[in-house]
Amino acid sequence: MARGMVRETAVTPSREYERQLVGRAQADDRLASRELVELHKDRLFSFIWRMVRNHHDAEEICQEAFLKAFASLGTFSSEYRFSTWLFTIGYRVCLNHLRRKRALTGELDFTALPHDGDSALPGSIESEEAGRLKELVWSAVDRLSAPQRATLVLFYRHELSCHEMAQVLELPVATVKSHLHRARNRLRELLESVTEHELQEFRNRAGAAG
Amino acid sequence: MPVCGRCPRTSIEHKMRCEQARQLFDAYLDGELSGALATELGAHRVKCPDCRRALALMEVSGHVIASDRDPVALHGDFADRLLACTDSKSVRSRDRLRRGLYIAGPLAAAAVVALAFLGAFDRPAKFAGEKVETARPLAVSSPQEQSPEAGNRGASANEDLLEEWFKETQDNWAAKRQSGESLQRQFELTISQMLDILRQAKDTSPGADHFPGADGEVPASPPEPAPTDDEDVEDL
Repeated sequence: MARGMVRETAVTPSREYERQLVGRAQADDRLASRELVELHKDRLFSFIWRMVRNHHDAEEICQEAFLKAFASLGTFSSEYRFSTWLFTIGYRVCLNHLRRKRALTGELDFTALPHDGDSALPGSIESEEAGRLKELVWSAVDRLSAPQRATLVLFYRHELSCHEMAQVLELPVATVKSHLHRARNRLRELLESVTEHELQEFRNRAGAAG
Repeated sequence: MPVCGRCPRTSIEHKMRCEQARQLFDAYLDGELSGALATELGAHRVKCPDCRRALALMEVSGHVIASDRDPVALHGDFADRLLACTDSKSVRSRDRLRRGLYIAGPLAAAAVVALAFLGAFDRPAKFAGEKVETARPLAVSSPQEQSPEAGNRGASANEDLLEEWFKETQDNWAAKRQSGESLQRQFELTISQMLDILRQAKDTSPGADHFPGADGEVPASPPEPAPTDDEDVEDL
């Protein structure tokens, strides 16, 4: 099972090092604050962008999450991981943003929104089938509820366990498992149009790549 | 009993088997399935095309979500801009503190002055009948100016008066505190009382025209902080 694209590419600091950085940042050490930002900004942005699918909004939410975290750094308990705490704040800001947006524009339909980029990156070599399949998958993910989308992204992309996801989403572990289960089943329903040939093609390429 | 078109099982058996298999999908996808159950699910997957397809769709979705690259990234100067924001926020909070002190300082001073005035003006009003003692300053009696007996009598009268006045003030404040009045409310009452006394003193005294405060020497309210924005200046 392929998991953890973001965790593989971003450097995940050890818990002890993270604790030291937080301690220094609490004492107004500017370098430590910068280090914390540099260590977590890409992962947080990736998660938030997958939630809101808009570059400008994602960057603003990311900034707000960091500012909130630094403003209440004095209340941070070292028994938690800073990254988990930061993701919790980011997720809350995300939800508020989505609620505001829904209040302004009615029911949110990400599939109708213009997206910032295409899944097929410039220079990437992939078949037409694989490209279409990726597009279909992300389009289906966009149609899920926010908690379902969050559980999928956190589980597959950020390799969080159900216990860690429960902390980030501030939900019981059983509820998180239920969201994950429903999200997978909903994805399966939404991807009914995928042909056997496309599935086979994707698996061949994924097998060849990995 | 109807037979499934894809495998030799009956449709009821097949359905039951698929339901059981689908209950294991999450555990399988989470990597938590092992041993006999994993083997059984694998065997079912080979035989049942529906479950095979369902599981394949879930696996492929998971693979795409996990491995597809983000087409966007944060701007390179994100950390710089963020830290600049935190700096300006801390400056703003320092400004707020300074502004708070700017307002709270004069308020506290006004309260102290108010208490002092309350003592000075309340006393003659209260003890208007005892002209000799109250008209005389409390500490001017000296042995050189008065006989020892007269001095002792005057000092003793002053002490009694002072003690009585202090006791009464203490009782008043204790009663106010017991009645639940906040400190701020007590200060407000004291200040308004002081202003009334000043007004009365001005009306009755011939030399009151030059009383401090009558010509604006003592501001009635704490000064506002200096405006910094152009809009504020225009409003002024």
